[in-house]
Amino acid sequence: MSNRQSNPLQRDAAAVRKERLYRYLLAGCALLTLLITGGIVFSLLGKAIGFFTQVSIVAYLTGSNWSPLIGEPAYGVLPLISGTLIVTVVSAAIALPIGLAIAVYLSEYASPRVRSILKPALEILAAVPTVIYGYFALVHITPFIDGFLPLSLTILPATLPVVPEFTLVIPSLRTFNALSAGIVVGLIILPMVSSISEDAINSVPDSLRNAAYGLGSTKFDVSTKVVIPAATSGIVSSYVLAISRAIGETMAVTIAAGSNPKMPYYPDVLMNLTDSIQTITAAIVQIAGAETRTGTLLDSMFALGITLFAMTLLMNILAELVRRHYREEYN
Amino acid sequence: MATEPESETDFRADASLRWRQFKGRLFVGLLVLSTLIGVLSLVALFIVIGSDALGLAAVFWWAPAPIIGRIPLPFSEWLLLYLGALVAPISAYTLYIRQDGARQAVNAKSFTAVFGFLTLAAVVFAIGDAVRPHDIAIYAVFISVALGSVLGYRHRYGSNHLTGPAIPVSVLVGIAVARILYGPINGAIAILANWILFVLITTVPAAAALGYLSAQRYSRGTGIATAGLVTIGAGIAVAGTLPQGIDPSLWVVLVSIFVAPVAFVTVDTIKTRSSGRIGLIGPWLLAGSIAVAATAERALGIHGLESWLTPTLITTSWNGVAPEQAGVYPQIVGSILIVGTMALLAFPVGIGAAIYLEEYAPSSGLGGTVTTIVDVNISNLAGVPSVVYGLLGLSLFQNFFNLAPIHVGPVTVTPETFGLAPNIVLAAAVTLGFLILPIVIVSSQEALRSVPDAHRQASYGLGASRWQTVRNVVIPEAVPGILTGTILALGRAIGETAPLVMLGVATTTYSSPEGLFGSATALPLQVFNSATNAIPEYRTGVVAAASIVLLVLMLLMNATAIVIRNRYENN
Repeated sequence: MSNRQSNPLQRDAAAVRKERLYRYLLAGCALLTLLITGGIVFSLLGKAIGFFTQVSIVAYLTGSNWSPLIGEPAYGVLPLISGTLIVTVVSAAIALPIGLAIAVYLSEYASPRVRSILKPALEILAAVPTVIYGYFALVHITPFIDGFLPLSLTILPATLPVVPEFTLVIPSLRTFNALSAGIVVGLIILPMVSSISEDAINSVPDSLRNAAYGLGSTKFDVSTKVVIPAATSGIVSSYVLAISRAIGETMAVTIAAGSNPKMPYYPDVLMNLTDSIQTITAAIVQIAGAETRTGTLLDSMFALGITLFAMTLLMNILAELVRRHYREEYN
Repeated sequence: MATEPESETDFRADASLRWRQFKGRLFVGLLVLSTLIGVLSLVALFIVIGSDALGLAAVFWWAPAPIIGRIPLPFSEWLLLYLGALVAPISAYTLYIRQDGARQAVNAKSFTAVFGFLTLAAVVFAIGDAVRPHDIAIYAVFISVALGSVLGYRHRYGSNHLTGPAIPVSVLVGIAVARILYGPINGAIAILANWILFVLITTVPAAAALGYLSAQRYSRGTGIATAGLVTIGAGIAVAGTLPQGIDPSLWVVLVSIFVAPVAFVTVDTIKTRSSGRIGLIGPWLLAGSIAVAATAERALGIHGLESWLTPTLITTSWNGVAPEQAGVYPQIVGSILIVGTMALLAFPVGIGAAIYLEEYAPSSGLGGTVTTIVDVNISNLAGVPSVVYGLLGLSLFQNFFNLAPIHVGPVTVTPETFGLAPNIVLAAAVTLGFLILPIVIVSSQEALRSVPDAHRQASYGLGASRWQTVRNVVIPEAVPGILTGTILALGRAIGETAPLVMLGVATTTYSSPEGLFGSATALPLQVFNSATNAIPEYRTGVVAAASIVLLVLMLLMNATAIVIRNRYENN
């Protein structure tokens, strides 16, 4: 008898080696994701540091003029942040309430048949390439809305003697404008809000609902006073993730919102919606498409990239913290 | 009990009940309204793109004025013709098919086979034509020799511990040897006409595969006959076209990848199925109705829609002056090439990472911390904007993260040393691969998690090792879920534009990419570039039609995912 057969349960050395080989190969695949993050940070930081040696970081963060391509280059990021925020606010105003309503409807009210039709439809809404949304906004939404504009709304009638008349004037839309870009970004992030919120609402146990019914609640009471509060952590984290997606959305805003970086209008707040703006992402795309992209111009793209990366990373971490911290455990 | 409120208290209770009911109804109304807004915006999106592409834009009052001139109203004759020749027969057929489960199954199988193989044939021909069939043939021969020798060894001497890992290694060796010997071999076969190489890369594998299948199902003789028939078919295609000075390449590919497999499926269905065979005619009825309607339209001189969705669009290259002549063929081929390469690179890595995280990764101690970091990192990567991935790709392929040029003795290494540049197909594929990796990992993890633990325990109980359990128990059960998730990721990748813009991928090229190291181009880039074109015909017409092509490519992938999922679920 040879030594190898002393223990029949012992695998031979070659089998152990093979097991180890596969284990290392698979672990390598998983560790590659860390390398990707490292690569992103390394490539962005490398160029961004080069940029900040030429343009001071204070001038970059507080400058109110962004014009890297025309005349004397100016690299102030505030107009781009303002543009990004305008689009994000419009999209959030659309997607957050509607998305939550869809989630509540699908999980609490809809019949299984209706659900089985609506859910794939919403998934398709998320799968449509964002360039197509950009074209949709530019060629259809803008002229459609513009058909109703300019509009002047008299808020208080002139017949009241004491209060001065107040008229709200909504000017016409520019060809490129923040409003239609914000609307389509809202459509893009809508499925994200509805599906993550729906998951959160579905994970609220039925015993809570039944207890509320037992106390005489109506379905409305159960939905608004029991289910939504119990699912708050999931809903809020879906909101934060959706806003992060809206900040990073590129093609739709590049096509529909134009390339006109400017500080927000005040007090003519509505001008911010009807006028053309530029977001951080659109500025990056504009520089990438420039004829010559070298030196400071090229580096500024990476500085914008790391600004964007930092903003979305913060939002993602925030979403994760909200989910962990305020999670209600039901077992 | 009286029905009317007896006292003031009762009346108040009744009023409050009504108020509560009203509140409830109002709430439901709001919810339904919101859901309708979501669904209707999807419908509106498809309607406006569809009517733009079909030249119906004038139905919208906000459409740009020059477009209205294109609409030949009234086109009621045209509508009648298509209702009679296309809609009526197809509707009647659909109603008839839906009555019976067997018919429905055969019909679905027939549609999948006909349109699936047609798509496959078109893709093979387009890619072969773009990258030269000679190159494909050289690499295919070397890879199959290397792979065949490993598989032959395994067949002859049985599996040992190294044959598994040897399979991917042999593929890499085949590629490497082919790359080294490429020059002389290419010189030797360059004089051969394209169609000969197409016979080698399509007819030979098709004959072998179909022959093998029918040998398995029926008998050895049938198998040889089938393989012979496929070869004869390809021979007829060559004999029918070559003497007339037509390049037989397309016909060879069509016969090998479309006609032969569809004929095989049809004959096989007739032989094995006893009922529902009528379902086989479905796709032919559809194609025939379209042909009849189109012929009648021409013959009767009926003016229909001036659609932008024409054969010109998908078979020619771009024209910046005449919108009617503009095509996106190179962009379609570019997109398919990029996404295909990306799938080959990203899917094995993504699925491997998911297997490690679900089946191997330690959950406590130092290893557990690393696992948590990797998990959190993946969910963060999923939230990184796509432009940032574009910057990553640019930085990697332009100068190796600012590290290049690297001096190794007398040799200076830059990405160009390896033929790399940011705007080539390989760079685009790798960048998009980074982008979809988190999606692939997360969806594969979900699929692996849904495999019940009892099955793993049963496998361990039989003495299987971890890898044997993963390979023989976990992966086969998780395949439908993994495939569904990964193919949906493909659909996402085909529409991605921003990373390609960052890489400086060319928008308007007049020829398809010449290979992995050739300069890339992609369909969404053309949509992006033309959406702001000053000429309204481009903005509303050509862009809409190109968007439809893009959406069809995306929906084709989603449909493939659904077909695969259903197939596995039925089994």
